[in-house]
Amino acid sequence: MDTHQVESPDMSMTTRRRLIASLLAGGAVVAAAPLFAGHASAAEADAPPPRDAADNEGLNVCLERESRMVTTYRNALTGLTGNDLTAMSLILDHHVAYAQALKGYLAVEVGKPSSAPLASPSGSLASIARQLAALEDQTASIHTDTLATINGLDAATLLASIVTVEARHAAALLLIAGASPIAAVGN
Amino acid sequence: MKKTSTSSPISRRTMLRSSGALAATSAVLAACSSTKPSIARIGESPTTVKLEDLAVTDVVLLRTAMSMETMAAAMLSDSAVTALASKDTAPVIAAFAADHTSHLEDLQVLISARNGEAYSGTNAQLMQAYGQTALDLVTSGKLAADTLALTLAVETLIAGTYQYFVSLAVQPALRADLVRLGARSSRRAAVTAQLINAGTGGFAPANDKDGSPLVATLPGAFGSLSAVQVRLGPVNDIGTRATVLMDTPSLNSLIY
Repeated sequence: MDTHQVESPDMSMTTRRRLIASLLAGGAVVAAAPLFAGHASAAEADAPPPRDAADNEGLNVCLERESRMVTTYRNALTGLTGNDLTAMSLILDHHVAYAQALKGYLAVEVGKPSSAPLASPSGSLASIARQLAALEDQTASIHTDTLATINGLDAATLLASIVTVEARHAAALLLIAGASPIAAVGN
Repeated sequence: MKKTSTSSPISRRTMLRSSGALAATSAVLAACSSTKPSIARIGESPTTVKLEDLAVTDVVLLRTAMSMETMAAAMLSDSAVTALASKDTAPVIAAFAADHTSHLEDLQVLISARNGEAYSGTNAQLMQAYGQTALDLVTSGKLAADTLALTLAVETLIAGTYQYFVSLAVQPALRADLVRLGARSSRRAAVTAQLINAGTGGFAPANDKDGSPLVATLPGAFGSLSAVQVRLGPVNDIGTRATVLMDTPSLNSLIY
């Protein structure tokens, strides 16, 4: 007598044999993956991280400097008119933007930056410009020194884009202060 | 009593048979493979050469920076510029060219510290892409103002290049060195912009009475990485001038 054992349709499709075969296949794929992704892994190993919590202290120093530059420029605007007022207001707006960018980056890690003025520029436009040019140079140096210590790529690119323009501020202000073109470049 | 089971389509026998067939097929295919091109050709044909894997390392960035500084010095001291520059601006442009040459020594030190090899040539790729075109336009335009426009474009380009390289550099200390070098070009760009459009009135972006944009000493709050545009050369039949776009180096113009 022939007996036919027919599998029921609702019977579980997972058998021990299939499970073992699947595990073996999966293991082979996992083992082979590094062979195909070798170059990518090596390249990514050297890549700097986009953010690093260790950078926050240095970035807070930069933020405080920018906050104090904002107050300094606000004080320097008193008494200026016409193109001189427009020009100094433009630089003030740049420093406001830098402070806002750094605050936005730091978010909840923002400290309590001082906004005390760094100086009280006064006198003629040339005199004010000379004092502000020196402060711009110092600010760019602070940011550049910070750049040498931070790991996060996002913060590094932000600071680089700030220093690039602050160098322009310094040179332009030196020219307004009466420096020669060669001297304004810093040679 | 005969038992027939149809519970599983995969039996040990089936698995062994399938594995054997797969191994045999692989062996046959491997034996059929060849290093020669698979497409049938008549006559001799060159074999395909695989491109080597090139990594953008800190040394590559520094070598490329050397090529950009060399290119800037060459452009600013080219006879097309020196012959047209006014007596007031010629010494300034010459000093800028000398600055770029002096930066090569700084870069050589940074490369040597990383066991790299210095690069003494210009960036041939970018010189061909826009450098020579810009010089040719200055020559054909015969306008003294073009010498300052070209100087501003070159200094802005070099500053943008260093700023861009910060995003590619691995070592934090090198990023600071790159920014220091870029800041020098930024200063030169600001001075050049002031030579074109002097005074505090030239700080902010503005247009002339015809609506054309004037050169601004401070065109933006943050350093730009977009292509530097400069109008050079003679006025054409429809009253416009050629616009040259200068891009910072990319993967195809880095010095590996």
